[in-house]
Amino acid sequence: MNEHAGMTGMDDASGTDDATPMAAAEAAVIMQQAGERARRQFRVSHRVTFTIWGLGLLLGYGAMWLTVRGQRPFHGPPPAAFAVVALLGAGSVMSGVAEARADSGVGGLSAIRRRIHFLGVLAGLGAMFALEGALVHAGASRPVVGVFEASAPVLVAGLFYFITSAVWLDWPVFGLGVWLVVVAAVGGFAGPAGVWGVDALAAGLAYLLMAAIEPRLRRS
Amino acid sequence: MSEEGLDPVIHAPARLRIMVTLAALHDGDDLSFTKLQDLIGLTPGNLITHLRKLEDAGYVTTEKTARTSVALTHAGRAALERYTTVLRHLLDSASQPAAPDAGYPARPAAVNPDDVAPHPGA
Repeated sequence: MNEHAGMTGMDDASGTDDATPMAAAEAAVIMQQAGERARRQFRVSHRVTFTIWGLGLLLGYGAMWLTVRGQRPFHGPPPAAFAVVALLGAGSVMSGVAEARADSGVGGLSAIRRRIHFLGVLAGLGAMFALEGALVHAGASRPVVGVFEASAPVLVAGLFYFITSAVWLDWPVFGLGVWLVVVAAVGGFAGPAGVWGVDALAAGLAYLLMAAIEPRLRRS
Repeated sequence: MSEEGLDPVIHAPARLRIMVTLAALHDGDDLSFTKLQDLIGLTPGNLITHLRKLEDAGYVTTEKTARTSVALTHAGRAALERYTTVLRHLLDSASQPAAPDAGYPARPAAVNPDDVAPHPGA
C-alpha cells in the first residue's frame, strides 16, 4: 500500500473498536448510514453530460440551421459553422471528465466500462467524419452529405446510449437512446437544411429534459 | 438482546462501515485506499488494522499497483448477507409486543432494502 507505507504501519491500533460493544440497533444504523453515504458517493450523475450535449445540440445545430435555411441551391453550412463539431467534441470531453471525477477512487470493471464507452463515442464521431469524406469522394451531392453530417452524430449518440443502458440496465438512458435513433432516422426527411432545426429541437430538448428529470429518476 | 450469532469479524463499527461501503460497489469494482479512508474516517493505521482482519477472514482483498485498492470478495459479500439476516432477526425479535419496555431503541426509520433494518417505520 503505497499510501500508507505497507500494511504494517499501524499508528494507533488502540483506536480499533473490537472491545467496544455494539448493539444490534446501533449496527443497523451504521449499516444504513454507511450504505447511503457510499451509494451517494459512488452514484454517477449524467446531469452535466446531458446539459452539455443538450445545449450543444440546441445552440450548435440551431446555429447551423440558421446558416443554411433558405439556401437555393443547398450548398451547406459555411466552414466556420463547423465550430459545432468542436462544440460537441469539447462537450464530450467535459462530460467524460465530469463523470470520471464523480467516480474517482472507484476502479475495476466500472472504470474500464466507462473508458470504453467514452472511447466508443470518440471513435463513432471520428468514423462518421471519415465516412462523410468517403461519401464526398464517391460523388454524393451536397444535400445528401448535408443530411448525413447532421444526422450521423445524433445516431452515434443514440446507439451509445443503447449500449450504455444495456450494461447498466438504465431505463431512462435507454429511452433517450431510442428517441435519438428515431430522431436521427426521421429528421433527415426534413431535408438538408431542415434536418438541423429538427435535430436541434428534438434531440437538444430531449437531452435537457433528461438533465432536468434525472435527479428525480435516480431517487425513485 | 444478545448479539450472539453476529459474525465478530464484521460486528465492529469500523469494519461494518468498511464492509457496507465496499458492498455498495458493483461486482468487479474496487476502491482506492485513500477514498475508503475518506469515506470511513479512520486514520491510515486503524484502517490497515481493520482491513488486515477482514483480509485474514477472506472478506476483502487489497491489491497494490500504482495505487492501493480494496475490494470485497464473494465470501465477504456472502458473510455480510448472513450478518444482515442475523441482525434482522435480532431486530425483529426485539420489536415483539411481548417486550415493549425492554429499553431497546427503536429501529431506524428510513431503511433502504439494501440495508438491514426491516419494516420501515416500525
